[in-house]
Amino acid sequence: MRTRGRLLDVLDKAETGPIVEEQEWDVEYIQKPIARLVKEYDVSWDKDLFVPSDDDLADRVFAAGLELARESGVYCTSTKRRMIWSQAELDEVIATSPSQVTLGEGEDATTIRARRPEENSKVTVCGGAYGIPVPEDQFVPIMLSYAQEPLLDFIDNASLVSTYGRPIRAASPWEAVGCWQEVDLSMEVVRRAGRPGMAIGCAENSPTEIGELSSTSYGGFRPSDWHHAALVSELKTNYEQLTKVVHFARTGSHIHTFANNIFGGYPGGADGMAVALVASLIMLQATYFGCTVNPGPTHAILSCDTYPDMIPGIAVALQGLNRNTNLMTTAFARTAGGPGTKTILYEAAALALAAVPSGIALMEGVQAAVGIETAHCTGLEARFLAQVTHAAEQLSREEANRIVQSLTQKYADDQKTKPVGKPFDQLYDVQKVKPLPEWQNLYVEVCQEFEQEYGLNL
Amino acid sequence: MSNWESKQTEFTESILAGNEQAAVALARTSLEEGATPVEFFENCISPSLQDIGKRFETLDIFLPEMVTAADTVEKVNEDVINPAVAESQAGESMSLGKVLLATVQGDLHDIGKNMVGLMLKVNGFEVVDLGTNVPPADIVARAEQEQVDIIGMSALLTTCLPYMKDVCDFLEGKNIRDKYPVIIGGAATHPEIAEEMGANTHGGSAAEGVEKCKMLLGKL
Repeated sequence: MRTRGRLLDVLDKAETGPIVEEQEWDVEYIQKPIARLVKEYDVSWDKDLFVPSDDDLADRVFAAGLELARESGVYCTSTKRRMIWSQAELDEVIATSPSQVTLGEGEDATTIRARRPEENSKVTVCGGAYGIPVPEDQFVPIMLSYAQEPLLDFIDNASLVSTYGRPIRAASPWEAVGCWQEVDLSMEVVRRAGRPGMAIGCAENSPTEIGELSSTSYGGFRPSDWHHAALVSELKTNYEQLTKVVHFARTGSHIHTFANNIFGGYPGGADGMAVALVASLIMLQATYFGCTVNPGPTHAILSCDTYPDMIPGIAVALQGLNRNTNLMTTAFARTAGGPGTKTILYEAAALALAAVPSGIALMEGVQAAVGIETAHCTGLEARFLAQVTHAAEQLSREEANRIVQSLTQKYADDQKTKPVGKPFDQLYDVQKVKPLPEWQNLYVEVCQEFEQEYGLNL
Repeated sequence: MSNWESKQTEFTESILAGNEQAAVALARTSLEEGATPVEFFENCISPSLQDIGKRFETLDIFLPEMVTAADTVEKVNEDVINPAVAESQAGESMSLGKVLLATVQGDLHDIGKNMVGLMLKVNGFEVVDLGTNVPPADIVARAEQEQVDIIGMSALLTTCLPYMKDVCDFLEGKNIRDKYPVIIGGAATHPEIAEEMGANTHGGSAAEGVEKCKMLLGKL
């Protein structure tokens, strides 16, 4: 009842808020207030710092983000209206957000718990291809390469390049067909991995509401799976996303929500991005009331979220949120480098090392080669991400900072050359779903490097 | 006019700072000193904006600064350049061409498209922006209505690519394919996709998009 009441309130806001042109929203409600808040709250840090450990700075970033959330709200592109929340409403959103959730079923279920910065407790890890396009005949072996990894608590699906040999058209019956094929294939994956109750991040072939409404249904994706709803940059929603949320609420499905603030876009640099990121995660919870909230900021040119200048912004925003709320925050490694390169491993590790001591509840990844190269994804980089995540649970922010500083030096130049690596079938034995020696040896080499250089026993 | 270099530096600083007064004054003075509107555009506005575009490509500046620069240039055009062009006997046009932009059906992402639009504007193109989630038939109809020179389409999602092909097919079906060069861009696209969709070319970044549009119209 409570959820339904809040859901109706949210939908009301999309129908009754002040009408604003989208361009005015971008400038007057995003760009200008963020620039002001960065100054007012003195959001700045030393350029050499990658994982700040200044609690006062984290709290100021949180306060600035909360003010942006209250002053601007969310823009509904379907109705051209500003959806506005009062401070009291936002306080209630924060006070009532869940601090733990169990995904999946039976022996394969996993529980995610909110954490504080530098809390020495387990971080849940989700590994997967995260919407990377893959050919139909490779979906099962690729996703199996993740599902078979014991360190991955659950998985997130790839997208299909086609469905039954036809292109998948968004907002058409083909979206529903693609999502049902995704159901069939991913259920085969968890069954073959011997983890039939494992939660699945879905539906990755549902850019509009059609695929999700169709496939989260009897015989399809389960309420215990991990269903996605997003804010479009910056702080925008639409009827498609809100319709998904109505369906999730009615079916009792777990909702994972995410935003993609643009580094270099209307929020400006890492300081403005940090403020936008806090506001986005609060407003994700206010608009979609999910379980987990993800800031997946995007570099305006490179499209990754591991660019060195972005990392302190992500870290400080996460610290602000994790010190002042019980939100189950997550970090998502979207790397410029692809599988079969050292770059992807360095990038993924740097983000995990910054985010885990900053208090995230869940580490996600790796969306290799920024998610756009067909079949450029393997379970091995996700295994490595999980290993680094658990090693980072023991670290202070200061200790993590030293390692991240060194890692960013190793990959910063390579990122700009977009080293996309190789596709799955050139790095894995597709029949046995095992890494080929070339990729396995590179992985072992980097693991040894981490032990020798950073004292991290992976 | 021998001091274009210093004028351009001053103009760049003014528009980046959003100093409309200084930018307008500089344009006005240049015209009073004998420069034609086209000369001012080619020697001052265009190189300044190209410089700013390059700085954005490396994120030495961010989108808000580019928006400020574009707005300031628009003010200069409104107050000084356009009236001067209207008065001139030659009736010179400084537009490089008119580009229709749209994020295709099913896709609601517009940041990349907006960046391209801004870069096109600051480089002297007229832009007709249809927004996001635009059906193929609407794109073709508006291209005809607006008499654009180029159709530009964007998609972040692979599931929206078929709608790009639809646009090219519609143009073929109406026997107007040759009238409209088509450029595509966005995270879901690359040069091979452009070929598959029947587009003329692909823009891998905002800056590349501008260069490709110039090439399509033979302005390079």
